[in-house]
Amino acid sequence: MVIIMDKNDTLDAKGLMCPMPIVKLAKKMKDLKVGEVLELIADDVGSKEDVPAWCKRTGNDLVGQKEEGGAFYFYIKKVQ
Amino acid sequence: MAETKKFAMVVSEGGFDKAMMAMMMANTAASMGIETHIFYTFFGLNLLKKGAKPKMPGMMRLFTGMMIKKMKGIGIDGYQEQMDMAKELGVKIYACNTSMNMMGIKQEDLIDGVTVLGAAAFLDIGTDSDMQLFIG
Repeated sequence: MVIIMDKNDTLDAKGLMCPMPIVKLAKKMKDLKVGEVLELIADDVGSKEDVPAWCKRTGNDLVGQKEEGGAFYFYIKKVQ
Repeated sequence: MAETKKFAMVVSEGGFDKAMMAMMMANTAASMGIETHIFYTFFGLNLLKKGAKPKMPGMMRLFTGMMIKKMKGIGIDGYQEQMDMAKELGVKIYACNTSMNMMGIKQEDLIDGVTVLGAAAFLDIGTDSDMQLFIG
């Protein structure tokens, strides 16, 4: 999946291990408005599975994902 | 949005590893929108005392400080910070009534925001949950 959309905000979670990227992601998403997209950058390998699972569980849309320079980039659109 | 799920956990040991595992699991679940309940019983109760500083079990306790440092290095907060986060995320924390009596612990010895429950009341929550874990 490489559909990257314009982002409204970025959360840099590099250097953080599971579960902190998810905990910080959940907090950050509260600040976004419905329809806005957050870029999450993480370097924890676990986030590759964790972020899609979080999106599925919370009903938010993972609209893009890429791997660059050893980091994982996720683009999450707030649905509710 | 997926329907709201419920998660019930029992913590019966008061060591650093059990304490942290319960907190990390609970805070992740709460961050995923899962309604999370933790029942602390037996030695797990020590984790709810004001100013609790759990140590690794047995001889490993000497390495507790090293573990805390390692965890900080990868962005994981200490035990008290995790507990504060759990409360902020709305994790429900329960203390076992019988264990409190057995160990001579009073409600005022415990951190704020703890509900004292009997086993039946917690089992009622547990049977109603989608996932149950025992950490001991």
